[in-house]
Order: sequence, then C-alpha cells, then structure tokens
Amino acid sequence: MNTIQTLILDNYDLNDDKLAKILSVACSKNIDFADIYFQHTLSESWQLEDGIVKHGSSSIDSGVGIRSVVSDKSGFAYSNNFEFDNLMSAANTSRCIAKSGKEKLIKIGEEQNIRKLYEPVSPIDGIKDDLKVKFLKKIDNHIRAKDSRVEQVIISLAGSYDSIFVANTDGIKAFDDRPLVRFSVMVILKKGDRRERGSAGGGGRYSYDHIIDSDIAYTYAEEALRQADVNLSAQEAKAGAMTVVLGPGWPGVLLHEAIGHGLEGDFNRKKTSAFSNLIGKKVASSQCTIVDDGTISKRRGSLSFDDEGCETQCNTLIENGVLKGYMQDKVNAKLMKTGPTGNGRRENYSCLPMPRMTNTFMRPGKYNPSEIIESVQNGIYAVNFSGGQVDITNGQFVFTASEAYKIANGKISHAIKGMTLIGNGPEVLKKVSMVGNDLKLDDGVGTCGKDGQSVPVGVGQPTLKIDDITVGGTKI
Amino acid sequence: MTSNTPDADKYKNLIQNLLSKLKTDYQYVFSLSLSDGFTVTSRSKSVESIEHHQDTGLAVAVYNNYKKGTASTNNLSLESIQKTIEKAEYISTNTQQDECQGLPESNYTKNDWTDLGIYYPEKLDINEIIDKTIECESEAFSFDNRITNSEGSTFSYSNQKNIILNSNGAYGSYKSTDYSLSCIALAEQDKLMERDYWYSSTRDLDSIENAKDIGRIAARRAVSRLGAKTIKTRACPVLFSPEMAQSIISNFLGAIDGSSIYKKSSFLLNKLEETIFPNFLNIREEPLLEGGPATRPYDIDGVLTCKKDIISKGILKTYLLDTYSSRKLKMECTGNGSLTNIIIDTDRSLTKNIISTMEDGIFITDMMGSGANTLTGDYSRGAFGYLIKDGEIKHPVTEITVASNLLKMFKNIVALGDDIDIRGRIRTGSILIKDITIGGTK
Repeated sequence: MNTIQTLILDNYDLNDDKLAKILSVACSKNIDFADIYFQHTLSESWQLEDGIVKHGSSSIDSGVGIRSVVSDKSGFAYSNNFEFDNLMSAANTSRCIAKSGKEKLIKIGEEQNIRKLYEPVSPIDGIKDDLKVKFLKKIDNHIRAKDSRVEQVIISLAGSYDSIFVANTDGIKAFDDRPLVRFSVMVILKKGDRRERGSAGGGGRYSYDHIIDSDIAYTYAEEALRQADVNLSAQEAKAGAMTVVLGPGWPGVLLHEAIGHGLEGDFNRKKTSAFSNLIGKKVASSQCTIVDDGTISKRRGSLSFDDEGCETQCNTLIENGVLKGYMQDKVNAKLMKTGPTGNGRRENYSCLPMPRMTNTFMRPGKYNPSEIIESVQNGIYAVNFSGGQVDITNGQFVFTASEAYKIANGKISHAIKGMTLIGNGPEVLKKVSMVGNDLKLDDGVGTCGKDGQSVPVGVGQPTLKIDDITVGGTKI
Repeated sequence: MTSNTPDADKYKNLIQNLLSKLKTDYQYVFSLSLSDGFTVTSRSKSVESIEHHQDTGLAVAVYNNYKKGTASTNNLSLESIQKTIEKAEYISTNTQQDECQGLPESNYTKNDWTDLGIYYPEKLDINEIIDKTIECESEAFSFDNRITNSEGSTFSYSNQKNIILNSNGAYGSYKSTDYSLSCIALAEQDKLMERDYWYSSTRDLDSIENAKDIGRIAARRAVSRLGAKTIKTRACPVLFSPEMAQSIISNFLGAIDGSSIYKKSSFLLNKLEETIFPNFLNIREEPLLEGGPATRPYDIDGVLTCKKDIISKGILKTYLLDTYSSRKLKMECTGNGSLTNIIIDTDRSLTKNIISTMEDGIFITDMMGSGANTLTGDYSRGAFGYLIKDGEIKHPVTEITVASNLLKMFKNIVALGDDIDIRGRIRTGSILIKDITIGGTK
C-alpha cells in the first residue's frame, strides 16, 4: 500500500469525493486545469569524516500542493496541514489566478496502472543503522590502508523514500513510491605542500544492499584515491581554443548543459532559448543522436511517471544531427499544441512543476576510443567533471573538468589541472567529429538545478571528439 | 493561507515543556523556523503565476555522551515532535563518539531579539503587487525596441521567525522580512539573443528600488550585451563587477570557514596572521548591521554573533569558527555557525569609475560554472564581459574563460570601486585585479 494512502488519505478521511470537491474549487469556471499533489518524503544521511561517523540525520517532510492553470498562468498554494477544510482554503487561494467563477463538476479518475521502474521499498528501513555505520568505517579503513598520503576522507551514505500521489481534472490518479540512494567518497591526498582531491560515488533507485553488499563501494573508494593521485602531479593547462576528447559516461554533462536545458519546453514556448524554432534543423554533426530517457529501470533520473502523472518515455531530442523535439510538461505541451513527454517534474510539493530532464545521453557511434585519441595531434582528454551551467538564451555553456590530460601526437601525456570549458550550445555539437562505440551512463550522482529547484538526473555518452572548444587554462 | 500563521510563542512553551521531561544525561537543541509569503511573476504584461508559501520546520539535535544525532520534520504536531526527538536520540546511539561535540558553553542567546531593523511586515494587496511587476516589465520593453522578449518580472515577500532553545538554557528568537523585485529582459539583434537581469532586495517595502528603474536597468544591461565578439587568449587586468566581486570574496570566506580548515580542505590552511590581500584592504563582519540582508543576533548553534575584523591591512586575523570547529581547532568560537553581513573596505579612498583608469583589460559582469577550487585555490570559470581600451568600453565579449589562482588574485587586487552593492550579504564595489588569464578563441 502506498504511504500516501495509509498515512495521509486514510488518516484524514480524504476519499475520492472529497478530492473531487477540492479540485472543483481549484478548477472553477474560468480555470482550464487543476491538480493536487500529495507528498511524503523520508530521508536520512550518514557521514564519516576524520575517521569517525560523526553525523547522522533523518528528516520527514510531507505536504500537499494545489495548482490552478488557465492558459499560461498558474495559481499555486501548498500546505503541510491535510485537514479537508485547510485543503479547501488552499484550493480557494490557488484559483485566485483567474476571476472567480462557478465551480465545475470534477470526477476523480481510475488509478493509473503504469509499469514500475523500481521497487516500492524504503531503503532506509531495509538495513539497521549500526550496519550503515560499520560499512562507512570499513571503507574508511580500506582507503587509509591503501595510501599513507591520505589527509582526509569524507564518506557519505544517503537514502530517501519519496511517496507521491497526484490527481488532476483530466482524470489522472496515480501513486508512486520512489526510493533513491547515493554513496559518495572524497579523498584528500598530501604530497609535500600540495593537497589534491579526488571524488567518486554512485547510486540509484534501489535499496542500500546494492552498495553495502557489493564491491562497488571499494571501487568508488579506489577511484577517488586514483583521481587525487593523478591531480597531485597535474600541471597548469594552456588557455584558449583547442581539440578536446571527452571520456565516456559522466562527461555527458556536456549534453545536459549544451543542449538539454535549451530543449526544455518552457523556454521554447516563450522563445527565450537559443534553440527556439529550430525543430527539423541541423543543430549537431550527423554522428549525434541524443535522447532523454526516463524509463531505464532503477536509474537515478528515472521515474515511472512524472510529477504530473504522465508516463515517462524515451524521447529523441536530436537524431543524426537534426533537432527532433522538446521536453514538455502539461502546461507547455498544451500551449505548444503537442503532447506531454513525461518531463513535468518538481523538486517537491511546495514548487510548481516545469519541464525537466531525466537521463540524457548520446547513442554510440562507430569509432574505437583509442582511434579517437590517436587522431589528435595536440589537445586535451577530459574524463571527469564537477558540474556545469548554461545561459539558455545566448547558448553559452560551461562545464568544469576535475580530471584531464594533455594529448600530444596521438598519445595521452601528463595530467593537467582541472579547468572550465566554455562553448556555444547550438554550435558545439556541430564540431563533434568522432563519436565512440563505448556508450556509458554515469554512476548515479547527478543533481540538476533550475529556478531554484533541484531534481536527480542522469547523463551519459560515448567517448567523443570536439574539434574546437575554449579551455580555461592559466598558461598563455 | 496567511490567516493561520502559526503562533511562535505556542511552540516556545511547547518545547520548554518537552525539555523539562527529556533525558537529563542527554543534551538537546531545538531550532524552529516558521515562514510565509508569496511570489508573483508577470510576463508579457499580465500575471503569469501567483505562488503562496507557508513553511514550518523543526530540527532537533541530540548529544548523547559526545555522540550526535539530528532529525527534522515539517509537521509541528506534538506527536510528530516527539517522534522527531526519539529519532534524533536513536541516531545518537549509533554515531561515534567525538569529544568536540556538544552544546556551546558560553556566549549564547538568552532572549527575544527585536529592534534589529530587519522586520517590517506589511499587509500587501496582491493586485497592487501584480501592477508593480507589470510596470517593471513594461518599462524594460519600452527602453529599447531591441528588447523583444522577457522572462518577466517577479516580486516576492517573505516573513520569517526563527527560534532556538537548548537544554543548557539558551533561548533566542527573532523575526525578519524580505522583499524583492526583479526583472529579466531579453534583447535581440541579427537573430542572436542575450538576457540580463536586475533586482532589488530589502528588509522593508519602502526601500525597494523603483519598479521602473529595475525594468530599465535590466533592459539596458541586456541591450549592452548585443553584438558580443570572441577575442584572443591573453593575460590582462580584469575588473569584476560588484556582483562578481561578491562571488570571489565568497570563495575567500568559504576557504576560512572552520569546517574547511579542520578538514584540511582549504588553500588558506595555516595562514592566520599572514598577508593574504594587499595592505590597503580590510574585510569585517557586522552581524547587527541595521537592515542588513544577513543580520542575525545569534548563529545556528545559538552563540551570539559578534563584530570582527577578518582581514586587517591585508592580514588574515581570524577563521570563521562555530562551536564544533573551534573545539576541533582548539581556538575561540567566533559565533560563525552562520555568516552574517560582510563589508569590504579600504584605508585608501574608493576609486570612482575604475574603467576610466584602465588602459586595457576586461570588465566581467557574469560568470558561470563551479570552477573555484577552495582546496588548491585554482580558479577557472566561464565569463561574459566587455573589452576595455583607453579607459572606455569597446564592445561586449563572449565565450571567454577567466583563470588564475585565488591566492594570486587576492594579492593582485589593485583597486576597489565606489559602486558598492548593498543588496547582498557581501558588501563590496567592483574589484580590479591585475594579470588574469583570459581564454578566448584562436
């Protein structure tokens, strides 16, 4: 049984008739559409630093958001008091976006039967707290035993169980229980006066045993050590435009920033994106096919259905270089006279939904990764990134490398210091001259921010070569 | 929805009652925050969204024989509060002992705080607010016919109350209000678009900048970005606008935060009493600045905040320490479980119109990305700005990177502008720094 049903709907006697009554107030005569979104989120995190597990925290957040939509306008109110009268007053506040009109008769639909992409099981209660603490200690010991240069180790294990229920005036009624766990390791190594950091981690929509009962945590721990070690010998990088080869997996943050945000429906409906009016146009080299796929089982960016109750899909954004479609929520899909794509997401009940990405990645190409590197006379090979940002209006985007190497005469040479790369979204993918056959998705640690709302997402790509992009090195 | 604002006194009494019944060998801290308000956005000359906010949150921290557990909830029913306490107690039985954990022993708050000059609640008429946002956006459109689109104008109002209680007898509460009005304008020329914004943010409604001025400045900034060119890679002096200077100072403050220091993850480790900035530069904290955007009487642990010199004549005088990190580092707590208002100042006079003093260089007004590494000080970010030649702006520049090392950047500061931005917690004018690498196209 869904947590919302037992903890909220049953407890506060909110049956379909009462929900219909609330929605009929939120969707009075001058309103096109209304929805109600219940959420109950249980989350926890455990953190080890200085060799001891010194932080443990747990949090419960529950509430309900009511939205009234008329054309491109939204009224919105939320509350964490689930009494019927309080919800009616929230509905009254929400509908003030339009002049008052008579209440419409609303019927709550049948519950949606949508395929589930993850198990409805809370990760938090699955394992006793003392075992989580022991696990973190074990990983810490492993790291410290491996390298005497370790100056600091910070390891965290976090989990949440997010239960939602959404009902709307289009007849959608859907329950979902969303588990999410995340494990991360950060290591600082010291050599002489120099300190450098390495970090790694992973997660997904499953229980803690995927991490605790497998060797994966050791793999992440050693990966963090390896990166810190590489960075200890990293040299200053040259500044300016050059050829850059991006490694597979997490460097797919390139796609998220360079084109992902620019293809979100709201910006294109308002025509504030550098990609507005480009459907059917060539925006990338013909080797590039890019999708946003919310349907991959147990992945961090996946959802059985989005926060408006629409089933997620695998949406092709760019096919062989040609722009195919945007990512939509209900409001923007309707205004653009197209269908929703399962991308309507919200951070929680206290925020309005918007078009957001799920798992965004590029399909594999034909080249061996080694062939790609051998083709570069002079350039950079960047394999790990710490994040990125975009200005969707002029298309400028950045992403920041945390592990990179110089390529000289077709061979990877020394490590170079982390640096920011800057490019122009609608231009940069036209400069992709080789796409590898080694598609990899990231390990499940990505979080995307937009308008102050954070949501978990995934990225991925094969190795790829960009002929010309500006690199923020310090050397001239 | 603002009619049923929870009564803070009710919760104070409730928590005091609970405290008297809790385990005497444990220590407890209760932090409560209550807020309500709304956000209105208008776009294309009519209202686009009205969002009403009402949030409550209670965080409970428990120390049990130097072991810490925390739990939080947004449900303030007695049953839920009791469950939250039990959860925090339970977690504290599983975390590990750390002798630096525990309540502050001295300098903690003991009363309600009023007269901070940060609480000016108003009964607002939503229709007047809508009109204000429409007026703001309309002014942006009428500024220049190259303003072809907008992301609208947004007004937001929030009324907060913060309460802290602990089992050592600390008690504090204060109220604050925040008002803001902003506008994002889009300009277009030769099928290329640029966006820019402007905003005002204050504690009282009367001080908020005029709606028309905000719209006009947003428009002027967006139009000034049109026709941006790429440039060649170079090393040159860079003038950072007040907003960008704030982000650089914020990197400095992050690096002297107690938690960065005891975790040895700062490039300013072991640098107390060393010269970090040029000798004409001072940085101080003023927690009780009247009307200040980050004014608060006590920090997150309930320790009284205090006025202090952080940088004096270029020398680092203190780290920013909360209760825990001060014990960890065996130093005095500085009440910096929270960071308040920071003022950048100089013994010399502030420079008027720095651009006119520059022979060549770049004026940076926007930066992107997370390329400030506070472990090594390495700095590399994407940027937008303007090329300066012979004391004048020549043209906007795009697709550039700004790279250096923060330690070197701090030492290379050559002038502070008099164009002080008082909206953010870090009060500074523009900052001129020599010898920064600008990455551009070939």
